Formats: sequence, structure tokens, C-alpha cells
Amino acid sequence: MSATGPAPRTPRVILHLDLDAFFASVEQLRDPRLRGKPVIVGNGVIASCSYEARARGCYAGQPLSEARRTCPGVVILDGSEAVYRAFAERTFALCADLSPSMETFLDEAFLDLTGSERLHGDLLERAARLKEHIRAQVGLPVTVGLGPNRMLAKIASKSVKPDGLRWIRPGDVGTVLPGLPVDRLPGVGRRVGAELGKLGVRTVGDLRAFPVETLVQMFGAPGRALHDRCRGRDTRPVALREVPLSVSRETAFAEPVTDPRNLEGMLYYLLERAVRHARGLHLAARTVRVWIDHTEAGRMAAARTLPAPSDQDAVLYDRARRILCRLFVRREAVRRVGVALSGFVADAAGQSDLFAGGADAGRERLYRSLDRVRSRFGHSAVVAGPSVRFLGALEQDRNGFVLRTPSLTK
Amino acid sequence: MRLERLDEAVQVRADFQGGRVSPRWIRRKHQELRVTQVTARWEDRRGSQKVHYFSVQVPSGDVYQLEFHTGDLLWKLNAVMLDG
Repeated sequence: MSATGPAPRTPRVILHLDLDAFFASVEQLRDPRLRGKPVIVGNGVIASCSYEARARGCYAGQPLSEARRTCPGVVILDGSEAVYRAFAERTFALCADLSPSMETFLDEAFLDLTGSERLHGDLLERAARLKEHIRAQVGLPVTVGLGPNRMLAKIASKSVKPDGLRWIRPGDVGTVLPGLPVDRLPGVGRRVGAELGKLGVRTVGDLRAFPVETLVQMFGAPGRALHDRCRGRDTRPVALREVPLSVSRETAFAEPVTDPRNLEGMLYYLLERAVRHARGLHLAARTVRVWIDHTEAGRMAAARTLPAPSDQDAVLYDRARRILCRLFVRREAVRRVGVALSGFVADAAGQSDLFAGGADAGRERLYRSLDRVRSRFGHSAVVAGPSVRFLGALEQDRNGFVLRTPSLTK
Repeated sequence: MRLERLDEAVQVRADFQGGRVSPRWIRRKHQELRVTQVTARWEDRRGSQKVHYFSVQVPSGDVYQLEFHTGDLLWKLNAVMLDG
């Protein structure tokens, strides 16, 4: 043992990779005639838009009717979830060569490169090679940011989009952070941003003037995280499998829906997708939230908490359907429906095996078998419950029904 | 741009080289289409079978989506993106 004390800690290096205008870039890659043109992928609202469309005022989440007015001549495509998933998987497979510690989302990834300089050499050069490799192998532009933590790596990449590369080193934090708009910090959404705006906080530097006690008093526990983050501190690890705060699925209907059976069928389908995703992470949910968007009256939403967490479709659907019945009381069509699971408890399978009765354990085995069948043959291999009514009415591919707005993981 | 679904079995002449397959000619009904460019390629699985997908451009400028099923060595033309 050394008498000089613990060895100095290796400085953390996190890499954040973002697929630029992902869906639109894939479409421009597939069809060269779209290159250089404003391209939108989405149905009902914009899911992704090319930089050419952004330059003409389009943005993600914008209703398509508005986008057509903002950007006449824009090319609008429905897109294909299965194709985008395949491109994302290919990209992340190339990233996995850099580090086994990787966390992926639909169009971005975090990699922990801490201590890998001896293996990779200069990390900025290695990141530049990764960008080139992805461009050559997959054909897509990506932006890469490096930083001493997740937050700074993402801030680095956001500042040089598209097709950029930047490293914010620990010594740069004092000069880079203070001037940034405060909503660039993770955890500053619309509500927190509005609260801070009332206090005259516009930049990260403004936020630093507030003591931790004040921020905790204003926002509860997240106030402490804000206090750390405005100083460039973020200890969140890069995990192979993130335990999400919630898993949600939603879709817009091609034609507004008035028949409650269609609403229930779609709710069942979306919930089944969300529960399958949660089961894949070995999570059981306690809370179910359902929302519907009326054509005129806007959104209605409600949530209920179960007495015990569950990862079973039937249990969660029963609760979701009851919520839907309470929400769908107006004589007005619905254009969008969604469901979210939250309040997750880990390793539900082990716990329920111990305490569940025979029927429950049997159902659990059934759902796990269905998951295995769907993993191998695609989600469409089994269509169950009230969603059976969509057989023949909606197109299907390997990933399930082809929805107007793909029910992607959020 | 307009996507037209086709879902037709077609004959394809292709190069297999260096672990990659590249379609060169497509024979569709009585028409031969020369592939001027493979613009994108990706893979997916159907059960245990790997399926290779290709976006290919032909001299008219139209872009076709082709799929090659490795299990039964079948080529399919599943869509074309047309101008207008």
C-alpha cells in the first residue's frame, strides 16, 4: 500500500453523440433528390425537419398545417420507424467500439470514455474519426461533444450542431457556462424556466447568484441539482440501461375518432407497447396516466396510482381504460391519445414470483413468452386484446401497426 | 414526392464483394432498370432471417426500395418514391 495516499482520480470524459435532424437526414440519404431541400418527417406534427426546413422557420412539434404556410414547397414524408431504428442501431454499434459504457436513446448516445486515452490516444482525434467512420459507413452526419460530465458533453454538442465537434474541458467551464441561456441546463423546462424568468434569471450565470437553500425552497430536491449544474457539476453516470422516469406512447389518428371502441383499441395497443418496454427493463409501474386531445377542446389528462406496482398488460389496461372512460365524456372527436407509465419499481419479476398466486404467475409467464415471440418475430406476430379490431384496418409491419405518428419511446 | 407501395418479387443482378451485396440491375416485369447508385443500405430481421434493405436510384431519377431475404435468397421491390 502506498504511504502517499490515494492515487489521483482519473478525470471523467463523457462523449455525447447526436444524429443531426435524424429522420430527415435518413430520408435525404435514401433519396438524393431531397438533398438541399426543406424536408419534414411527421404526420399531424413535425417529428423531425431538415436544417433547410429549420432555416425557413420549421421546428419539431410544429403542426404540419402551419409548417406548410411557413415553408411553401416543403417536402412532407410520413417516415418509417423501422428504418430509423435500423440506422440508429448501426450508428450505435460503431460507437460501441469506443466504450462498453454506453447509454442510447432514439437519436443520441452518451459514452463514458474515462481512462481510455491510453487505448484511444487523443480523444478529440478519436471522436473526429468516429464521426468520419459513421459518415462513411452509415452515411449520416452526427455532432459530437466531449465534456467532464453528461451535461457539459451535451452542451458542447448542442453548441456546434450540425456536423460539429467540440470538447469543453474542466478549465473551460468558468467561461462557457455563465453566458448560456438558463434553459440549456437539464431540469430547466417550461415551468422552472418561467419561475426563474420571474426572478430575472436569464443566463446560467444569473442562476449562480442564488444560494442552494433558496433553490431548494423554490423547487424542492431538484433545486439542489440546479445549484450544482449551474456550476458545471453533474454526477449522473452513463448507464447501459437507464431507469426512466416514465415510459410513454402516443399517436395521432389519421381521422379524428368518435367511436370509443377505436379509442380503447388504440389505448390497449399503446399501453401494451409501453408495458413491454418496461418489462424489458425489468420494471413494474405504479402509476398510469392517460391523455386525449379533442379536436376543439384540447387536451384532457388524468393519472391513477395502483395499490401495488405491476408489469402486466391486463392490470395496467384495466386502470387505463377506467381513466379513459372518465376523460372521454364530451361529444367531440379525439385526434390524439397517449399513455404513460411511471413510479417504476425494479426487478418486479422476482418479487411477484414469490408472492403471486397461480393465476398471476401464469399470466406473468404468458407475457414473458409473448415478449420473446415478439422479440424474435416482430411485434406484429401477436395482436391481442381490443387492438384486434385494427387487424385489416391498419397496415402492419414487423414493428406493429403503422401508425400516423410512430409510437416511439420517449 | 409520393411513395408508391409495390411489394413485387423481382429478379436482381447483384455484386457480392467484401461481405457486401450491391444490386446492379433490376428486372421488373419486362423492364430492365439499371441501378445508378445505391443511396442507402440497412438491415433488419424477420424471425431468424436477416433482411438487407437498399434504396437505389435508376436513370430516370426515381428511387426504389429493394429488399433481399438471406434465408430464401429472394429479392423484393417494395416501394418507389416518385417525383410530384
